[in-house]
Amino acid sequence: MAKVHLICFFASYLVAFVLELTRMLGQNRFSRFVMLGFGGAGFVAHTLYLLARSRASGLPPLLSSPHDWMLVLAWLLVLFYLFLTALHREIALGLFMLPLVLALIAATRFMAVSPEPHFNARNAWTMLHASLLVFGMAGVVLGLIAGLMYLTQHHRLKSSHAAQFGWKMPSLERLAQFNRWSVMIAFPLLTLGFGIGVYLVVRPQQGPGHIGFNDPVVVASSVLWGLLAVLFLWLLKHHHPSGRQVAWLTICAFAFLLIAVVGLQVLSGSGLFHTEAHTATGEAKHRLLSRQESPA
Amino acid sequence: MNLQVVYCSHHAADLSVRSKLGFTADELPRAYDELRAHFPASELVLLSTCNRVEVYTAQEDPEQIPTHRALAEFMARFHDLPLHEFFDDLLERTGSDAVRHLFQVASSLDSMVLGEPQIVAQVKAAYSLAQDHATTGPLTHALFQRALNVAKRIRSETALAEGRVSIASVAVGDFGKSIFDRFDDKVVLVIGAGEMAVETLRYLQNEGAREILVANRTEARAEALAAEWGGRVCPFEQLDQALAAADVIVSTTGAQPHLVDVARFRRVRQASGSKTVFILDLGAPRDFAPEIRDVDENVFLYCIDDLEAICARNRKARNREVDKALSIVEQETERFMAEVHHRATGPIIKRLREQWREVVDQETGRLFTRLPHLERDRAEIERCIDQMVNKLLHPPLEALRDEARAGAPHGLMEALKRLFRLHDSE
Repeated sequence: MAKVHLICFFASYLVAFVLELTRMLGQNRFSRFVMLGFGGAGFVAHTLYLLARSRASGLPPLLSSPHDWMLVLAWLLVLFYLFLTALHREIALGLFMLPLVLALIAATRFMAVSPEPHFNARNAWTMLHASLLVFGMAGVVLGLIAGLMYLTQHHRLKSSHAAQFGWKMPSLERLAQFNRWSVMIAFPLLTLGFGIGVYLVVRPQQGPGHIGFNDPVVVASSVLWGLLAVLFLWLLKHHHPSGRQVAWLTICAFAFLLIAVVGLQVLSGSGLFHTEAHTATGEAKHRLLSRQESPA
Repeated sequence: MNLQVVYCSHHAADLSVRSKLGFTADELPRAYDELRAHFPASELVLLSTCNRVEVYTAQEDPEQIPTHRALAEFMARFHDLPLHEFFDDLLERTGSDAVRHLFQVASSLDSMVLGEPQIVAQVKAAYSLAQDHATTGPLTHALFQRALNVAKRIRSETALAEGRVSIASVAVGDFGKSIFDRFDDKVVLVIGAGEMAVETLRYLQNEGAREILVANRTEARAEALAAEWGGRVCPFEQLDQALAAADVIVSTTGAQPHLVDVARFRRVRQASGSKTVFILDLGAPRDFAPEIRDVDENVFLYCIDDLEAICARNRKARNREVDKALSIVEQETERFMAEVHHRATGPIIKRLREQWREVVDQETGRLFTRLPHLERDRAEIERCIDQMVNKLLHPPLEALRDEARAGAPHGLMEALKRLFRLHDSE
């Protein structure tokens, strides 16, 4: 299990994506099975990697580090992709989903691989915070993909190019519904997740991990949440918004959110983006972690 | 074993001839009864569709084969037609040609619309009905089951059945279903009552469309169409209200100038809001001005040229698969014929083995009577003789199998019969 590296599943997903691209040339049952095989093999390697990391750190993958948290997000997306591709063999979901999965995995290469020092990993609130955020972000990515698929399908239909061989997508009606529901589900999850996160970092505590309201991560997260809140309220207010408008808005909001969240994690993990909490050296983090793990 | 098919199809016979020779579902039981009475030694399967009438016959004895003329006379008697009216339209295939023909029919390679899915169900139904009337036998069982498997194989290994090839199916299946997920909550407006409107309505109803409005200048025709499809008539004067209410519009009037121009459609959109509307303009000339497509982002307008372009592309794609499908038919025909020929050698092989077994039993019996002290080694001696018999029989039987792969091994079977004095009666 310890021999599984990030490159193993990255390469598997990359091959699955290339095979997905070849399906545009025509439906081929064999290439579909090979594609699902590579996707499945990558998923198994991905799972083993997360388990090995979790065993090494003694923490659940969601809490062991931003690197692992992001990999859990990618894992959820691959699970969704495999499930839908097995169920609807003609829909070219991988063309949209796999590049995002690959980008997320590539981004984890630059993220911190040790736990956040200001979080008590044994606290149930911390677990809830990380879980809500990861599910909320999964909703964000799925909404982004639904939006992209909607615009692609809309363009094809407007230019009279209906379903081509091996290159099919769900109907505009279904994509619009999916898009709307992704916002409706992702927003409450992210709101709760951000809320608990803010509570966890600003509550009175001592040690090198304490940060305040002026921390850039907190500020950036609040701005992003505000953006999402505007979109959410707009959707609630307009009962029949145009599918294309919703698609554009979700793409803009979700892409910005995704880039910002991943960007913040990458910058803080690479040491380019310093906050009081993030200046804690690896040594200090380990000290903190060992203190948290002690029975006292 | 002997196999043949006497048939007429859309390739050679006019619709008038086919419709006269066709058997309706009510006529088929009587047809089977009469066929069985006239050709009691034959296995029989009757395939009757709007594009073909085919009678497959198979029998062990070549003397009992119903002739082309005998089957034609049966059809003439059954339908009360003069023989000369259709005799030249009836074709005949025998042996491997008959097998190849059925495989091509079942896999839709012989159909009017290449890759159409109905024919395989029709072949299956014909075989099933023949079974119900007890006119099938070992050869027709093997032949029809293999034909259904060949159709399945071609469907899965080629793209012969991919892509829709009729205007209405492309309109609903490719465009409509790419826009709407379901049609049971949509309002369908049909303007005009032409044949194309009826065909499109059929596809829409198959997809679940329930609320149908029909508008036509001649109200009687609108009423007839609405009654046929369970819809409501919309007075032609109230067309704008109907246009605003509709989610799917199928127009086939071919009015000149355009029935709906941009200004009129903009007024309709003011009333309907920005909901998605799918317009199929099947009129020639067009009923909707082409600029309506750009009125707003939720208007999806397609004319007959858009749809015909997709049909033509799909037909071309299907045609590219024909060679691949024909090579599968060829492989399967060869395989089937080799199996049939191999099966024909079965009785000879069985008789030969039985004859040699008898000789072995007689001679070993005599040996153990004369030399009783060998009794304790009896099992070993018998095993040794069995092995010798098998080794001696192996070359002629292998030669027979090889010959069967290439065709019916009549010459070799005759030689074996004469060399080893095998009698047909055994």
